[in-house]
Amino acid sequence: MFYLSLFFQYASQYLKTRLTYRADTIIEILSDLLFQAVNLIFIVIVFRHTAFLGGWNRDEIIFIYGFFLVPYAIFSSFFNIWDFNDRYIVKGEMDRILTRPVHSLFQIILERIELESLFGAITGLLVMGYAIMNLDITLAWYDVLIFIVMVIGGAFIYAGIFISIATIGFWSDSRTDIMPMMYNISNYGRYPINIYNKVIQFVLTWILPFAFVGVYPASYFLNREEWYGYAFFTPVMGILFFGIAILLWNAGVKRYRGAGN
Amino acid sequence: MNVIEVQNLRKEFNSYTSRPGLAGAFRDLFTRNYKIHAAVDNISLTVKQGEMVGYIGENGAGKSTTIKMLTGILTPTSGSIIVNGMNPHKQREEFVRTIGVVFGQRSQLWWDIAVQESFRLLKKVYRVSDEDYDRHMGHVIETLEIGPLLDKPVRKLSLGQRMRCELAAALVHNPPLLFLDEPTIGLDVLVKLKIRKFLQEINEQYKTTILLTTHDLTDIEALCERVVLLDEGKIIYDGKLNQLQEHAVEGKQIEFEFLSEVPRSSLPRVENLQWEQKDATTWLGYINGDEQMVSRLISDVVQRNPIKNVRINEISTEEIVRKIYEEGMALT
Repeated sequence: MFYLSLFFQYASQYLKTRLTYRADTIIEILSDLLFQAVNLIFIVIVFRHTAFLGGWNRDEIIFIYGFFLVPYAIFSSFFNIWDFNDRYIVKGEMDRILTRPVHSLFQIILERIELESLFGAITGLLVMGYAIMNLDITLAWYDVLIFIVMVIGGAFIYAGIFISIATIGFWSDSRTDIMPMMYNISNYGRYPINIYNKVIQFVLTWILPFAFVGVYPASYFLNREEWYGYAFFTPVMGILFFGIAILLWNAGVKRYRGAGN
Repeated sequence: MNVIEVQNLRKEFNSYTSRPGLAGAFRDLFTRNYKIHAAVDNISLTVKQGEMVGYIGENGAGKSTTIKMLTGILTPTSGSIIVNGMNPHKQREEFVRTIGVVFGQRSQLWWDIAVQESFRLLKKVYRVSDEDYDRHMGHVIETLEIGPLLDKPVRKLSLGQRMRCELAAALVHNPPLLFLDEPTIGLDVLVKLKIRKFLQEINEQYKTTILLTTHDLTDIEALCERVVLLDEGKIIYDGKLNQLQEHAVEGKQIEFEFLSEVPRSSLPRVENLQWEQKDATTWLGYINGDEQMVSRLISDVVQRNPIKNVRINEISTEEIVRKIYEEGMALT
């Protein structure tokens, strides 16, 4: 309860600041939309040349892409942890975090929220709506609940992977380029998994399970029964990876060496 | 009651040295020369409630490392720490509620938002009730004279204004123990005086225990009865400030300003007395002895030479500390 009310306090403070920089916020939202549009156009162009990709048609792939945008938007609104090493370890901001009576990871999440990224979720819903109309899919009432569970699972997988990578900063103070590389890899999750070779499939399923953010859960809504097993494993993977990340984080905080003054 | 109890505290850092040259860099890839360096080396320390303790030492002496262990930021390598009856690192979240921390070189406030919004967030973080907040912070804001700054964003404040707000922010939850790491760094004299006066007040009013590190020894002279002197991770002095002055520097410095130039030969020669020329007509006499010797020396000099001015200089803490570090001292 306390954490929830603290969250709202930070969020309202964030909105207040954002509203004083209206122009910046609008530009950021627009450039996000533009980025999404470019990705969609890419998919459309690919399907000018072929009707199927690994057995999936154009609208199915658009649906997967739209689905992927929702957990991704939640992740990028609340888990802006990609510059953790620079900002908190090298600059020593972690010192300040650790002198406050709230879990350190939660504080960083609060400080780094970027609520405008949630617009990506709206884009995702619109894209999915468009695909559903073309695909002639009927959804049951409980699909909404399943959708929410899948989205949260996907966001947790994302968060778990990126938090785990951020904790490297506790052990090594040298800069790494893993973060941008990971962003690239994460994009593979929004295309059908079976178009990749076996090794990449395995990695995207069990090691860096970005397939659980896009294609696996989306295949449930597309009635692709051959993937149902994986689809329902999404929340389990989310809890598992997020749990591992928190354990790593707590171990890392004990190792924190601080920045010299 | 002891607020801080530290036994044989030690903190080691692993660092590696790189070998010279390209070949060396290549070898470093495979085997590194690790070196263990103890930043804090077997420190034991107790602080009672209501004390104001000055924690001093050169850069790299281990001051910040100690403070970071006492505040739960760093885990000690060995030794035990009990602060406010808790283990700072193990019970971190519960523990930090009972302390206030100001790092002079690091802001606790949110850069983009108004000072009072920062206070409100902190009030929430520390779960301070409205009544407690109003009663306590009203007083703090008044004494630090930051009322007019409250609706300005932090980035628009001057350093002195910001520091006063930082201090207020550290006191939102009225902690019984306050850690101040270089709180007056870079501030002008007026702001320094204001901050010192404020610290004295809260110490008297709430019996707040204060542990202070600073490079400016006048802070310590103004505030702390007790000083802890640190060198290379070890405590080399722990006691009253005035005793440090008495013990560390033997003798006194007397400054004679003569009416005309005076040669060395016309100054008296006594055992335990050294002369140093400051300028053409001024000599400094360093005498190792008690007041009697001092008066004898003065009368000696005055009888032989016409003088304009005589001054007995108290040696400043700064000089004492410099002397200790230069010559090493066995006081403990």
